[in-house]
Amino acid sequence: MIKIENLHVSVDGKEILKGINLEIGAGEVHAIMGPNGSGKSTLSNVIAGRDGYEINQGSITYKGMNLLEMAPEERAWNGVFLAFQYPVEIAGVNNTYLLKAGVNAKRKHHGEQELDAMDFMQMVRDKAKLVELDPSFLSRGVNEGFSGGEKKRNEIFQMAVLEPDLALLDETDSGLDIDALRIVARGVNTLRSPERAIVMVTHYQRLLDYIQPDVVHVLVEGRILKSGDKNLALELEERGYDWVREEAAA
Amino acid sequence: MSRTLEQIRAEGREAFERHGIPNTRLESWKYTDVKRVVAAHEQDLLACPAADKTADIAADDIENIAIDALDAYRIVLVDGCVLTEGIGDLPDGVRVESLATLLSEHPEQGIEPLRLEEDAPLFNGFVALNTACARDGVGICISDKVKLEKPLYILHINSGRVAHICHGIQIGKHAEACIIEHYAGTEDANETNAGGFTNIVSQLRLMQGARLTHIRLQQEALKTTHIGRVAVRQHRDSHFASHSIALGAGLSRVDIVTSLAEAGADCYLNGLYLTASRQHADHHTVIDHQAPHCNSREMYRGVMDDRSRGVFNGRVVVAKGAVKTDSAQSNANLLLSPKAEIDTKPELEIYNDDVKCAHGATIGQLDRNQLFYLKSRGLSEEEARQLLTFAFADEVLTSIRIPAVRRHIEHAAFSKLPLGADIEELLAGEPLTEEKLI
Repeated sequence: MIKIENLHVSVDGKEILKGINLEIGAGEVHAIMGPNGSGKSTLSNVIAGRDGYEINQGSITYKGMNLLEMAPEERAWNGVFLAFQYPVEIAGVNNTYLLKAGVNAKRKHHGEQELDAMDFMQMVRDKAKLVELDPSFLSRGVNEGFSGGEKKRNEIFQMAVLEPDLALLDETDSGLDIDALRIVARGVNTLRSPERAIVMVTHYQRLLDYIQPDVVHVLVEGRILKSGDKNLALELEERGYDWVREEAAA
Repeated sequence: MSRTLEQIRAEGREAFERHGIPNTRLESWKYTDVKRVVAAHEQDLLACPAADKTADIAADDIENIAIDALDAYRIVLVDGCVLTEGIGDLPDGVRVESLATLLSEHPEQGIEPLRLEEDAPLFNGFVALNTACARDGVGICISDKVKLEKPLYILHINSGRVAHICHGIQIGKHAEACIIEHYAGTEDANETNAGGFTNIVSQLRLMQGARLTHIRLQQEALKTTHIGRVAVRQHRDSHFASHSIALGAGLSRVDIVTSLAEAGADCYLNGLYLTASRQHADHHTVIDHQAPHCNSREMYRGVMDDRSRGVFNGRVVVAKGAVKTDSAQSNANLLLSPKAEIDTKPELEIYNDDVKCAHGATIGQLDRNQLFYLKSRGLSEEEARQLLTFAFADEVLTSIRIPAVRRHIEHAAFSKLPLGADIEELLAGEPLTEEKLI
């Protein structure tokens, strides 16, 4: 579904990603782990299309398209979704309005009819239940006055409504207590499907207790130093990142 | 000593001769130059047009201009004259008369709102001219303890002429009311050579424990000049909420001056100005804390596009005896075009130590993180920009509790935005929930 080749990215002239190679197929769940400052968030932001990043080298091919040439909204229409590490509060923009605009923009792009208001509301209510989001949140401003955990749940709720093909979860687990983590994980697990690829960016192994990845990658200092199955995450939890660094240097 | 109307008119003329038309050398008129618009009216502006010189406006046209689906007691003025028909049955304890009627039948009451207060903050030549020339307006008196269930809706239509209007409003002890002043124009108002000129003074008095919501909606024709003043005197424990919305007119200047004269009074001043093309919208407010334990809150927002210009000046004065004053003021502005301009100046004058005052002004562009967030959910760059612009403006409107009024203003605001129709369609598909309206 997505193929990243030799990707070099810098911010303000400082190189953050130093040659990333990564291929993720439909139906797969990948975890990208790494210490703070290793470039995890940069990678997900570049895939989603945030500006402020200089692409120095390399390519990202998504469903056969050159992803780096697409505007963020085009990426969304084609099924890319980023669950933000720090969801933005937007006072005055109603949560449901935003989702309706998002869903209909995507449908329009694919030449489909816009959803009828009643069907849309029913769908939204069902999806809100999935992450145990109180219905009153639907008519509030986007993330306005939400707690940290509510914001993260709202991201997964949006993901459920927008039904992406490639979902990037950027540190979705950080700041969550165990109950909230369970709720979020259940939401994500429900969305696992053979057509959908999910990438979880995290530096804690505990998320992976609830959402089992097919592949775990270790990102250190802008490079993927090691990939393996879910046992690699347990090993990282136990031994930290230094041994990976040493192994790669050897 | 009581004075006659003739004396008051003469005092108005004399004061006008002393003050003249305000010019940009005056600090409070530094950013608003009325020279050109006044020159276009030199003859008729000072000639104090006769009250009967108004346009004939068809009933259908009035309905088209009026706020849709608003359940209210309606009074219509055309070119500064009250149309006598139409002040419906009012509940007991509510008296509404035209100023013209009062001046001829009860002159001692009629002259009250016309009295000159040359020492009042922001007094200027236009106010003096109003005293000299205003023939009509509305006198409203709500008796003690009366709660007016429906708003009083004063619709002013300017067909492109000069209109000096004066309103006198008194809310009795522990009485409650909502008054909407709506200023609009006909299509013809842009056809006349000089355009219309509205010069309006509203004198409001809130007695002990009175509560008034005052909504001022200015949607005059683009060729019209709008000069307005709202002067408020608040007695003990009274509550005044003001919403001033400026969308229309080529040049508009509104002064809102409220005096918290006795302890325990509160005032809330909200405002929104949206300007485009070459519009100029100026708001000057003065909150005068004279007594202890009074609260004031002020939130003004502006969105300027094209080559338009906004001006905001908010002064909060806390007198020596006004201890335990709690005041907060904010003014935020969005500039949508590199040629648009805002001149904003919050001013605090505090003469005692036992107060809590905060103020601030911001000028900015749209937030990049918010834009990216919306785009990552599938909104186009333009849609995201318009949605954020509208949301910024709409925050001021959330405190307007009358759905028909809020919808009317939102619709008018949408139609000023380049992609407004699309955004409105996006928002309109969804039934407005209770939370959205409150």
